[in-house]
Amino acid sequence: MNVICSPKGIVDLLRPGQGISDIVNAGFGSVCLDMSMGYSDEELEKFSTEYSKEIRTCFQAMLAECQEKQLEISIARMPYLLRNTKRTDLNEVLVRIAEESIKLCGNIGCKYIIISPLFAGVSGEDEWKVNREFYLRLASVGQENQVMILLENQCRSMNGHLVRGICADGYIAAKWVDELNKEAGKEQFGFCLDTGVCNLCGQDMYETVLALGNRLKAVILRECDGHEESSMLPFTSVHNGQSQTDWLSLIRGLRETEFDGQLIMDIADTAATFSPLLRPQVVALAKSVAEYFKWQIELEGMLKKYSSIVLFGAGNMCRNYMKCYGEKYPPLFTCDNNKDMWGTSFCGLEVRPPEALKELPTDCGVFICNIYYREIEKQLRDMGIENIEFFNDEYMPSFYFDRLKGV
Amino acid sequence: MMQIGVQTKEVVYDLNPGDGFEMLKRTGFSCADFSLNSYLTNTSLYKFEVNDFFDKSECELEQFFAPHKEGAKKAGIYINQMHMPYPNYVPNGSRELNDYLWNVVAPKTMKIGAFFECPYIVMHGFKLARNLGSEEAEWEQTEKFIDSLAPMAKEMGITICIENLYNSIAGHIVEGPCCNARKAVERIDRINEKYGAEILGFCFDTGHANLVGINFEEFISTLDGRLKVLHIHDNDGIGDLHQIPFTFTRSRENAVATDWDGFVRGLKRIKFDKVLSFETAPVLTAFPDEMKQDSLAFIAKIGNYFAEKIMR
Repeated sequence: MNVICSPKGIVDLLRPGQGISDIVNAGFGSVCLDMSMGYSDEELEKFSTEYSKEIRTCFQAMLAECQEKQLEISIARMPYLLRNTKRTDLNEVLVRIAEESIKLCGNIGCKYIIISPLFAGVSGEDEWKVNREFYLRLASVGQENQVMILLENQCRSMNGHLVRGICADGYIAAKWVDELNKEAGKEQFGFCLDTGVCNLCGQDMYETVLALGNRLKAVILRECDGHEESSMLPFTSVHNGQSQTDWLSLIRGLRETEFDGQLIMDIADTAATFSPLLRPQVVALAKSVAEYFKWQIELEGMLKKYSSIVLFGAGNMCRNYMKCYGEKYPPLFTCDNNKDMWGTSFCGLEVRPPEALKELPTDCGVFICNIYYREIEKQLRDMGIENIEFFNDEYMPSFYFDRLKGV
Repeated sequence: MMQIGVQTKEVVYDLNPGDGFEMLKRTGFSCADFSLNSYLTNTSLYKFEVNDFFDKSECELEQFFAPHKEGAKKAGIYINQMHMPYPNYVPNGSRELNDYLWNVVAPKTMKIGAFFECPYIVMHGFKLARNLGSEEAEWEQTEKFIDSLAPMAKEMGITICIENLYNSIAGHIVEGPCCNARKAVERIDRINEKYGAEILGFCFDTGHANLVGINFEEFISTLDGRLKVLHIHDNDGIGDLHQIPFTFTRSRENAVATDWDGFVRGLKRIKFDKVLSFETAPVLTAFPDEMKQDSLAFIAKIGNYFAEKIMR
């Protein structure tokens, strides 16, 4: 999985050096070329239908900076119209911008471009007809430039209320991608899921991800309050100590489908809100959050890595492990610092003292199943234990209805 | 002309139910959605509190509701739909509580429905996707519940209607059970074929759909003839407010932010000819009591407006 930073809100196109440095210093190795930075939805609203400007010129400084800092541009996103655009006459212009954007991707070795479906002035009955023609016109340009075109889920503005739009339904979106690929004669099209749009439409992301399956090539991670469009750092739009985005359903879906595509962190609004003095730390936090998502999605891969595993902790997290992964990845035993539990059985596992970890085979992983990760990690490192890993049960495939007390 | 209905909650009272039904008739309704869920509320159930209302024998329940039935008949109001108390399963509730809901409340609801000669009973699907891991696993439990009522429904000629619901994530509403019309169609057809009767149908709730941005026209069109019952109400897209349609705007242009045109187009497309029923009891507590009749009359007028648009 490729963790990518969207530079929107971080990088100034006219003077990109500092923003790109912030991204590189945060540890990101890839960025998304978000072309709406050069052609915002507000600007498109004032576009002439005679548009003929070269799109590349807008991004020259940023592209040069990325090249200098060896920052890969793995994916691009074509400019898009306002959700409540009044411009129903720009669809031909959007085709030209799309063609040019794809060519630019080809020139810079960018393999994917996100191109939203056409919606302005398109009636419900004509959505597929109009977009089939639109995407197939772009297919040959994509092929020539070796760029895969990703459709993206949309919401539409019902007089200011954002509701499900084109390709919001994963089942329909999958059908569109399949049909386009069939007509293109190769896998020229895929899908990018925007979590912000899903959240605005209160969608079950697990169902959407499962419907898309391996057509899903990219995921845009961004948070919002579910009512107004914004790109916030995940886990920052909160209420009563809980995130207002259903990350559980997203992670469940991506884990189950073994998603291995482009994971784009879009924190445009969060980044723009913070002072430039604090932005390096914000971008660094965004990188950690993106890596956390990757880690959660790839949780099973971590379990597969070892020929055998043991757990540390005989409480609720251990119980959740055994419920969801105990059968597929059975631990040799678990251990716990509580002497009273030694020699007993917990969820079918023998509970041993931590000292038992010293006799493990070299390719055995020790998974800490306790929220006091850092304390226990230090204890184990001090004991000379290796192959220490963290397990986490916040995003399990299923949950018990109760929690054990006093363990 | 299509018939217009509304909830009995906040209008029909046990002390003198006939007066409430008379008021409904006077204000322009010909049908009622009997609010049986008022007798065992969701707020109490989620607190694991159960009253003894459904401990009454069938005979006692019939005696209790006899004045309601009589009052409706006298007023010329047809009880076309009824709401089963919900939830039918309380996560983290005791086995005793959930057994009571499943084995006592639900069957007695069906019997009360039959007593009222009500053809449609709306039920809520189980909300278990978070714990069980998927909507499919959640539906399996709901289907078991439906299976337990199906023989009774068939015998009584009642259609149980599943309703599109929502869940709340940190105060933000997201889709819940029965928000996928394609799946609903497959399930309804399969279950009805299994029992050789129309024991399952759908109740489309406009407010719940609006909260999770569902495309009204597409959803209704997909359901087609399986759509038996409506819960018509409006909200701001944020909270489940159960207000009067056309109330909410979200922009300075002050244009309506709920897709009522899509609603009408969908019903027109499937040639919906059943009751346009409003689930707007909270309107009656929001407006002053002195304006209750005016509020009801206005709701009925909106029903007539929809009817006229659908039939045109």
